[in-house]
Amino acid sequence: MAGAGVEVRVARGGDGTVRVVPVGEPAPVERDFTRAVLEVAGAVLTWPVPDDSVGLPSAEIDDPGRAQQWLWVVYGEGVAAAVHDCADTDTGPTGVRVTAHPTALTGGSARLALGHWAARWWPASYPDGIPTLEPALLGLELAALTHHCQQLFDGDEGDDRASELIVEHQEALDPLIRWWRGEAQQTHTARHLESVLRLIDDAADTAGLDGPALRELRTSLYRQGPTGGPPTAPATLFTHPDRAYALAAGEQLGAGGRLIARGHGTNDWRRYPPGFVDAAEDAVAWTARALGARRRIEVEVVAHSTAPLAGAQLVAEVHVNGGDPHRVPLTRQNDLWTGRRELAPELLAGVPTPHIEVGVLLPGFDPAPGTPEDAAGTRAAREAVRALVRRRLTTAATEHSAHDGSPHDTPSAPFLAETAAAVTDEDY
Amino acid sequence: MPSISQPTGERRPRALVIDRAWRGLGPGLEPLSGPGGAPLTRTVKLIVLPLIVRPALRPELAADFLEPAQAARLDGLVRDSGARLTATAQWFTLLKKARRALGIVAGNPQDLYFQRCFELATEHGAPAADADVTARDVVEEVADTPGGRTVDALKNHLADAARRLRLDGDLATGWAHRPPATSDAASTATLAAHAAEALDACGAPGPADGAPSYTAMVEAGHGALFGRALWADTPGVWGRDDLPTHLGLTGRRTPPRPEVGRGASTATLPAPLDRTLFERLFVVLQSSAHRDELPTVPELVARETGRSCAPLGLYDESLRVAVVLGGRLAAGLDPLGTGGTTGRTAAHRVVNSRWQREASVLRARRMTVSPHPDPDGGGVLDALAQDLRTPWAAYMRRLWVRLHGRDVRDAPLPDLASAWTVLDGVARSVMMDHRARVRSALRTLSTGTAPAVGAAGTRSA
Repeated sequence: MAGAGVEVRVARGGDGTVRVVPVGEPAPVERDFTRAVLEVAGAVLTWPVPDDSVGLPSAEIDDPGRAQQWLWVVYGEGVAAAVHDCADTDTGPTGVRVTAHPTALTGGSARLALGHWAARWWPASYPDGIPTLEPALLGLELAALTHHCQQLFDGDEGDDRASELIVEHQEALDPLIRWWRGEAQQTHTARHLESVLRLIDDAADTAGLDGPALRELRTSLYRQGPTGGPPTAPATLFTHPDRAYALAAGEQLGAGGRLIARGHGTNDWRRYPPGFVDAAEDAVAWTARALGARRRIEVEVVAHSTAPLAGAQLVAEVHVNGGDPHRVPLTRQNDLWTGRRELAPELLAGVPTPHIEVGVLLPGFDPAPGTPEDAAGTRAAREAVRALVRRRLTTAATEHSAHDGSPHDTPSAPFLAETAAAVTDEDY
Repeated sequence: MPSISQPTGERRPRALVIDRAWRGLGPGLEPLSGPGGAPLTRTVKLIVLPLIVRPALRPELAADFLEPAQAARLDGLVRDSGARLTATAQWFTLLKKARRALGIVAGNPQDLYFQRCFELATEHGAPAADADVTARDVVEEVADTPGGRTVDALKNHLADAARRLRLDGDLATGWAHRPPATSDAASTATLAAHAAEALDACGAPGPADGAPSYTAMVEAGHGALFGRALWADTPGVWGRDDLPTHLGLTGRRTPPRPEVGRGASTATLPAPLDRTLFERLFVVLQSSAHRDELPTVPELVARETGRSCAPLGLYDESLRVAVVLGGRLAAGLDPLGTGGTTGRTAAHRVVNSRWQREASVLRARRMTVSPHPDPDGGGVLDALAQDLRTPWAAYMRRLWVRLHGRDVRDAPLPDLASAWTVLDGVARSVMMDHRARVRSALRTLSTGTAPAVGAAGTRSA
């Protein structure tokens, strides 16, 4: 599927790196959750996220020699030659425009990057109706895709992790096989499942992995055809105890007192790891009260459905009237993280309606919030991400959404975890 | 399938020429190919380039881009090897089968068997009826450590009480007769300057030729000088008051006299120069690469006794100079991109810019570690943040282990280019270690359980 030519600019940076940037692409997106990245031999590839069409990546190449193994496939020969020339500091040009010719591997690498993105930023939310993706299911498909894209890697970079992903998620192989066996033959999903299973088997064999789950996989694949089990809804295969939300409110925090103010804080996904907080925009709520002479702030944060019950020290950060941050430790109570803290009365005095800002973060993880001016843009970016995953889930729910060619080369094709989530979402 | 039309008479990427020739060989190569039919990356790296193309013999094929004549030559070389490659693929399948039957899971079969399979194919052609036996023998032979160079052998060797007593005496004597420690700050102050000069010739795009400072440092014994300065904790070597002279090579003020030791665990290894004889050799023996190049265990122990009393615990002066270069590089590492450190060289720009790229990847993967000390302190992530604020310690620790491994195998670093390959590789490894630890820490946090032991599990003896 040789794509039409796309113009790229190849340029050498001061530190010896060579950059490849598609011409006409908007300026690089700096928000962490709107970039899908892939670390390949000698370079980092980046795609903008709310767009899951094939698209050429930008590349930041720190080892042009190593990158030559894949440059010609991802961008075509012309770009490979331009990078080679630009890397020569003595005689090479500092920048050239050249036409790229994307191939199937271009799409494959974009899909792999998007999968890694989804594993970290998928905005699962109960109030928004966005189901979670089963991590082991996504992890296994990423292992398959990594093997599918093996030309990108040479064993010495961050994302060459097929074996590691298979070992980490091998407990999901059995349900995956049962799902495949239960699917009617010739459905799109059956072919997708089989292809992923074959890639995992091949990757494991090539890397010398072994174990009961992998032997079972091998046996199943050589027993012809997926028919061999009862039809099985993926929902019943990847069930987790205690997943469903008990929407009962937690302990009544705010008993008594006089209400001073209440509102919603900022839910900045970048300030805590995935799987802790529901991704909804208004997941963070606060209430300020007066109890006699005392002043108190109470914070309630909707928990992610898989949030850990113990061990994590999530905190809310409270700013009153633009002052220094006060931290409120949060504890998990059913489907909420809750906490409260006394504030010095003078903080709330003197202003009829105090300006209170509340954020939620994991200490030690938090890279510090973005600049305040950035808030609206970041909110819009989160909304764009939600729109993207809603669109993908709708596609995933429709079996006849068949696409030409291999699903592994098409970023917009649903991941198995999306298919499973889309047909499971009656819980939501 | 890439379909690229290119006018004839132009140079082509070597990787493309290999890919085309490979696909032209037809079926039978699946065990050596990726899912799309291209050769596996390791097939190219371990078979096609070193055993068929052999750029060392044919320098005209060593380039990333080939003129039409060279491309045709490479294409011919691959095509002429078709039968041998098919046989290699069949041997590989047999060896994997034998490995599975024997229940062996350690190591990557491509790394372990590719070259052997090519040799078997060269010697025997395609596997014959009795090839199962041969395959089994080869797999067992590869799994057996050559000449008993194992941690167990080391343990047995050092279990003998009389021998331990003698070794302890040797260490005491060796330590007492070390070259004198030096606290001459004036001469050590020049070390960093020389190192900076060498580092400025590293990592810059283009060949690092004309690097007299490296050779001069080796000839002048600057590595030994630094080792002796370490024994006296001579200050001011790195030109920064906040850095200890030893850069974490010892956990004490000065390195202690090495002990014999009787056990080790990768999880609790002390700083390099605080390690026992046993711990130093344990690390060498349990890393699988190059084991067949090692001396026998008694020889290893005998030489380590003297080595551990030498400056920096290394015999070879070029390796000691690499420690000085590494120290100077480590003193300017800036993984957080604060830009605050002084005296950056070309090598620093390369390493730090890669490190900041890594930080950007980690942010995009939602794997951040806050660089700022947390007001409430504590926690697994805080320990990782601490490492980011003192990156030199992890760097020097890894560098020393790598150089020590070379010293044991008698593999000096003859020139600046080879030294830079090691220095740069260590920087990469330190980054990868960091990422693996962040991943493991976040997994622990989000499951509320103990960290899963990954591929790089703890090993003990």
